[in-house]
Amino acid sequence: MTSQTFSTWGRWVPGRGQVPPDKLPSEFSQGQPLKAFMGWDGLFVHDTTVNLVDMARAYMEQARKESCGQCFPCRLGTEDMSAILENICAGKGAPADLDRLESLARLVTDTARCDIGQTAPRPLLDLLEHRREDFLNVIKSKTPVPAGHYVTKVTAPCTNACPSHLNIPDYVEKIRIGRWDQALSTIRNDCCLPGVIGRVCVRPCEFNCRRQRLDSGIAIRALKRYAADMELETGQEPSLQPGPAKDKKVAIIGAGPAGVSCAYYLGLKGYKSTIFEVMNEPGGMAAVGIPDYRLPREVLRGEANQVKKLGCEIRYGVNVGVDITLDDLNVQGYNAIFVGVGAPEASKMRCEGEDAGYQCFMTGVEFLRRVADGEQPIEGKKLLVIGGGNVAMDCVRSGLRLGFTDVNLIYRRTRAEMPADPVEITEALEEGVEFHYLVAPLKIIAENGKVTGLECQRMELGEPDASGRRRPVVVDGSNFIIECDAIVPAIGQICVVDCVLPPEEVEITKWKTMVADDITRRTNQPYIFSGGDCVTGPATLIAALAAGKNAARFIEQFLTSGQSAPEESDYMEKLIAQLGVFYFKEKMPYADSTKKLHPPVMEPEERIKSFDEVEGKVNSASATQEASRCLRCYRIAMAAV
Amino acid sequence: MNTLTLNGKNISFEPGQSILEAARTHGVVIPTLCHLQAADHKGVCRICVVEVQGADRLLPACATPAGDGMVVETHSSKVVQERKMLLELLVASGDHNCLFCESNGDCKLQSLVYEYGIKNVARKSDYVPRPIDDVTPMIQRDFNKCVLCGRCVAACNDVQVNNAIPYPFGRREDKPPVTGWLPVADYDRCVHCGECVQACPVGALLEKKALGKAMTWQTQKVRTTCPYCGVGCQLWLHVKDNQVVKVTGVEDALPNRGRLCVKGRFGYDFINAPDRLTTPLIKENGTFREASWDEALDLVAARFSELKAAHGPQSLAGFTSARATNEENYLMQKLVRTGFGTNNIDHCARL
Repeated sequence: MTSQTFSTWGRWVPGRGQVPPDKLPSEFSQGQPLKAFMGWDGLFVHDTTVNLVDMARAYMEQARKESCGQCFPCRLGTEDMSAILENICAGKGAPADLDRLESLARLVTDTARCDIGQTAPRPLLDLLEHRREDFLNVIKSKTPVPAGHYVTKVTAPCTNACPSHLNIPDYVEKIRIGRWDQALSTIRNDCCLPGVIGRVCVRPCEFNCRRQRLDSGIAIRALKRYAADMELETGQEPSLQPGPAKDKKVAIIGAGPAGVSCAYYLGLKGYKSTIFEVMNEPGGMAAVGIPDYRLPREVLRGEANQVKKLGCEIRYGVNVGVDITLDDLNVQGYNAIFVGVGAPEASKMRCEGEDAGYQCFMTGVEFLRRVADGEQPIEGKKLLVIGGGNVAMDCVRSGLRLGFTDVNLIYRRTRAEMPADPVEITEALEEGVEFHYLVAPLKIIAENGKVTGLECQRMELGEPDASGRRRPVVVDGSNFIIECDAIVPAIGQICVVDCVLPPEEVEITKWKTMVADDITRRTNQPYIFSGGDCVTGPATLIAALAAGKNAARFIEQFLTSGQSAPEESDYMEKLIAQLGVFYFKEKMPYADSTKKLHPPVMEPEERIKSFDEVEGKVNSASATQEASRCLRCYRIAMAAV
Repeated sequence: MNTLTLNGKNISFEPGQSILEAARTHGVVIPTLCHLQAADHKGVCRICVVEVQGADRLLPACATPAGDGMVVETHSSKVVQERKMLLELLVASGDHNCLFCESNGDCKLQSLVYEYGIKNVARKSDYVPRPIDDVTPMIQRDFNKCVLCGRCVAACNDVQVNNAIPYPFGRREDKPPVTGWLPVADYDRCVHCGECVQACPVGALLEKKALGKAMTWQTQKVRTTCPYCGVGCQLWLHVKDNQVVKVTGVEDALPNRGRLCVKGRFGYDFINAPDRLTTPLIKENGTFREASWDEALDLVAARFSELKAAHGPQSLAGFTSARATNEENYLMQKLVRTGFGTNNIDHCARL
């Protein structure tokens, strides 16, 4: 057997060329070497003891399993290739088998419909080209090859980009064939709030959709919402069954997305949990931070309350740290605790007058919370909102719906740097919000304790900062005053974990976030786990759902074995992310001109009259049509460890 | 104008056309197997792959949009070689023996195998027999001959929208072996329209009534209009020795574009039924006797005229059948209105 490390990885992107082995990951997990890797772009080998013939067999066996039976070459070719490789590894091969393998591999890569067939034979073709003697040696020896240990994962650019790694091509396909119910089951394997995420997800998947290279990406979020809408429309209840009952129970602090997700996946495993929630409703910031015109409360309530079917009790109005302490939870016999308390407080602007308690000055978090409670928290004609994120967009758009007629947003950078969802920005502009870019707040001006204006200064963009966005720099002497009736700063949120848990018991950062392992979500206390915004700082809803889902897995591990440690699949996930699954520069073999589905939206002048949902439902015909645009960019990854 | 180079010739195409459509317009035949235009079903069999300059793989002509400036080869040596190999795999994967097959002579797989000169491909040695579904009186499903092209699935779910053949495909590992991908019919939903049979490109789905009646080349195809209702579906009668052995829909004709219902496709036994009337009968003294058309029509015309003269035109009425054609119905109302002189004309408007 030739003993040298080598790599064929990296030819997919034109101009990039092969990556030498020393430039590719060599560690699977800390201290555990990655011996070899096979995937969509070839293979690379670090450890010459790996039997690549056996690994090719295992890889093709996986491809055979993944083949969906639709296109002929993949269905027939993967089966035949797999059988030939099994035969060779059983010591029963013949040299002519290799020519047959090569022809089959070429046929399948050349003609298959989706990327399972188009990519799966690539490592085999590379081996037949560079390491044919390995196969011939096995054939000559006529003795069976022992099977090695491999870690396998099937991913896709969209799946990899999603923090919760939903099997997107699978549920899109199920929508294409009219089985929204099956699509929903697939979605629920990794996301327990389909209707919520189907409305407000920031959709990293769509930005990693390979169809963008062909014409326009798939409307993945809208398709997810379609599946959830169909369930509601047909009056079907999700068929959720708690797993066989376990005798251990878990306390969950916070009924936000992370907590609900954790309870949901624990429930599926048969663990009873109790959620302690300070508010009187589930959903956390998704309930009181996202206005009803984007996420109707009944949708969120309905989906969050599904956890009750799975043996979870939600206790509302309980302020952990005040009404009940960590010690109390321990005394009450909870075997593990999940902390998902979010980032519920507003950041400071460091602007003069913000702590003066002026009338008509209110943080975005509080403003939205009160609006969500049905209040009119501030009144006036002209509203000024400070910030460029989604919360700022929620504030200006809510302001319009509360009767402010002159709604303004100031942001210290330009539209290009705005972190808000581009759709949100566009919809705010359509509704008549005036945006003022390169303007920063300096001082709140008030008369008789009530806001009358904001002193601002102009900015210009300088060098890029750590976030990669260009840093705003003050333009000297550019101060000016914007008169207004009310000011709502929405520039960020902070965590207050120290108010919930005693800092002497759990490790908390100086930003008042929890310290938790990024895979197992375990804190410095082996029985306390944490995830969501309270660990990461303000992040996305889907990331919180992923954290809750993953924590549930490791809590189960802890409850059954007393320990929690990452599994091979977790390391594999990291490895795949490190290699990158979506190639932004990929050259497609032809051009197409299909258009992305845009769900219907209410006219701007109509939508600002109420908090009714702006986005409408997608009909079945459009959903099916959209789903049929999916390229099914599945990729199979296999590591020898 | 959009143009592309097809086998060295410059041809024009309409935006939105596939390579297959563009080629067809210009008389270039690219072989297909799974493509079912009516359901926009395509991209499955990959027999229609072509070589497009600059592409790192072969592209299916049916599912790839024609592009301006594209350079396409439909029968390059690489293309032909891959098609051949695909056909060999296909033949080996099923139980295909034309000698014993009802569809001999009317089979896309057989034509392709002949066209590409495939020889002596044996069935796979580990072939596991698949079930034969013979439970209904109309359709036989022999899955041993099924190529899993999905045409019957598309025909049922997307053309007729009966949703009686659940979509069978999906990850191999999640499906039971052997039967997992077979397009099995759900007879609770099936209306026996036979659309699936007409869509089947091989001999897997067959009209049971036609089994053993005639080989394809022994029949004559006669085009006619279905007599069952007023839609006017266009039929092909497959006739051998003056007997209808099978009925299929005319694919490229309105109004049905090949689609038929259970009656149009399977309800043709009346043609040669022994109790079918073949001459007019006249009832005399309580019993019928055979008569000629002239005699019968003379009698009816005379009696109608007598009634009209004695009791006026309102004593007469006409009632027609939906099984008559539109033209026949038109003539009937014309006879009643102008000949009888009355508006007493009606139609059952149903079967």
